[in-house]
Amino acid sequence: MNRSILSVLTAVMAIAVAAHAGSISGKVSGVAGESVVYVDTIAGKTFSAPAEHPVIDQRGLLFQPHITVVLRGTTVEFRNSDNVAHNVFWPSIQQGAKKLPGKNLGTWPQGEKRPFKFDQAGAAALLCNVHPEMAGYIVVSPTPYYVTTDNSGNYKIDGVPDGQYNVVAWHEGAKTQSKAVAVAGDGKADFTLTK
Amino acid sequence: MRFTHWALGFCLVGVVLAAGPYSQAIPAFSRQYGTSCSTCHVDFPKLNDFGKAFKDAGFKFPKDDETFMKIPPVLLGAPAQKDIWPHSIWPGTLPGMPMIGLRFNTFFQVYGRNRNNFRPANSTDPTIPRTDFQPGLFSIFTAGNFGSGIAFWVDDDFSVGGANSNGGLGDGYLKFHNIGRLFKLPNDSLNLRIGQFEIDLPFSPARSWNLSGWDIYDEANFGALNGANPQNVNNSFAFSSPGQGVEISGGHMYKGYHYSLAVLNQNTSGTTAPGDNVSPTVGIFSDSNFKDLYGRFQYRFNLEKDAASRNEIQAAGPTGPRDHTYLQLGTFYFYGRSVQRTNGESGVLVAREPFYRTGGDFSFNYHNLNLFGLYMYGHDKNLLPNADGTGFVSGVPAHFNGGFLEADYLALPWLMAIMRYDRVQSTADFINGQSGNSTNFFSPAGSTRDRITPGVQFLIHANIKASFEYQIRPQQRVFDGDGNPASSPFRTNQGVAGLEWVY
Repeated sequence: MNRSILSVLTAVMAIAVAAHAGSISGKVSGVAGESVVYVDTIAGKTFSAPAEHPVIDQRGLLFQPHITVVLRGTTVEFRNSDNVAHNVFWPSIQQGAKKLPGKNLGTWPQGEKRPFKFDQAGAAALLCNVHPEMAGYIVVSPTPYYVTTDNSGNYKIDGVPDGQYNVVAWHEGAKTQSKAVAVAGDGKADFTLTK
Repeated sequence: MRFTHWALGFCLVGVVLAAGPYSQAIPAFSRQYGTSCSTCHVDFPKLNDFGKAFKDAGFKFPKDDETFMKIPPVLLGAPAQKDIWPHSIWPGTLPGMPMIGLRFNTFFQVYGRNRNNFRPANSTDPTIPRTDFQPGLFSIFTAGNFGSGIAFWVDDDFSVGGANSNGGLGDGYLKFHNIGRLFKLPNDSLNLRIGQFEIDLPFSPARSWNLSGWDIYDEANFGALNGANPQNVNNSFAFSSPGQGVEISGGHMYKGYHYSLAVLNQNTSGTTAPGDNVSPTVGIFSDSNFKDLYGRFQYRFNLEKDAASRNEIQAAGPTGPRDHTYLQLGTFYFYGRSVQRTNGESGVLVAREPFYRTGGDFSFNYHNLNLFGLYMYGHDKNLLPNADGTGFVSGVPAHFNGGFLEADYLALPWLMAIMRYDRVQSTADFINGQSGNSTNFFSPAGSTRDRITPGVQFLIHANIKASFEYQIRPQQRVFDGDGNPASSPFRTNQGVAGLEWVY
């Protein structure tokens, strides 16, 4: 009986929260393939990193997935699934106009993982110093409001509370762009990125 | 006139040295696996430890090869066909793409200021210019694997020095890897190679990364029947020449032991029978019944303390995998017979002169520094025609020795500095230089030729390289047959710049 009451209360609260949350949608153009769109830092708000650790795999001489988006503070596990030696490093983390120092995680054998906690928001190119053609990307969002576009550049970020935000669009081959967006129910932001 | 011959000969040697043993890398593998040249090469075509393991495995990734191929092979039979063999053809594969790579290189040379000092005064013969642009090689090479551990390699020069189709076949062979498994021998302990190939030298001149070849590999042994110790040797064999035959080998180049034993055509005269009366008449490469023998053994000690890292293909460094710190020691021995036919009093006399080449080598690698060297001794039995022209008597053997010492330092992934010393001492050269038959010779009046060659190489991209070297030689002078100076002293120093790309 108590459990039923709790379920009903939870559902009611969820509906109430959703009623105050909107979305941001739009299109990223000017580039081919997937982009990442996220809401930039919200003053006075912090978000807890998820307990689960996403995995970036080195498999078949590729970083898989090619692009990973995580919330700031998330621990990412880097796994080597290949039967050759790999390495993971990033020369820097691009945070707006700033370049934060990179990191070299070293090397580890097939089947093993190495964790790293991303405390800085920004985007980094993941490289392997043995196989220079390999590249993956990690985008560290300061808020949980992020999404990867489809291949045509369309995106929609759900669950964004009403308010005024800076929305950032990132693409691996283009200059990062940000826009102020007002969300009152729904917000719209289209980006045209340039190289 | 003879001075002109020397000048032209000198230029020719320069061209051959500069263009001959230049590099060969395999862009086809980059395409097949979707990976960079630098996966296998340090400053191509110099192999890193992974490249050595790739070659050891028969041009395949040493483990889980199929998971790395971006272009899967074409099956020439389902693997299950093995179950019904011999009632089916053993299934193999074709590479899923034509495994073709091309390369081109071009050179600019600068000769020493006194390069023409050995020309006689008032000569109107062509001079050696101060500088010269030279087209190099345009080559095709193809290599890969047919499945079942059967690897192939063919390379051929379309043109050399800008001329058409006068380069010729380099290596062309099929290699059956790990056939020891058929006899329950340890893994990778027995391979079989058949075709034309460069013998298993410690440091390959055919795939050298230097602009000029290592001198000792080009040393033939041509004596002369003059002087106090005449030499009836006419042996054109040099280590840089490809051989035709079969080879068994085993072990690995990146750790532990490696050996090879080869049986090869013997051809020391440089000529062959026309073969008109035998079939097929496509050509005869041997000039005698005897087959030459070559053997090599090396052992490489990887020096990492951690056993797991020591036995891996590449060592685990603090910031990524790297080539091992290692010491490699090796030895080699070549045995052949040089055949000479002359007219004697009672018919054709045939001298079968045994010869051998032997030596040792080492290579030490520490992080980005690779120090290596080789010493070789060559010995030809010298059978001189006897006084009445009916046979031969043993003379003083014709021998030579020499080698090289080289240090390569990879300052940056795209920048390698090189320092090299080459030396050749040859009694045959000495006799030729001191001859009484008016053959002039570069000297000082000794049997030693040596040079110091600093160089630097830049990778513009992983497949484009700019190389520079400066060959510093001791002062020389031309002497006439009586030992009198016939020229002013001069140095044949030479600067060479090369640009090479493979695709």
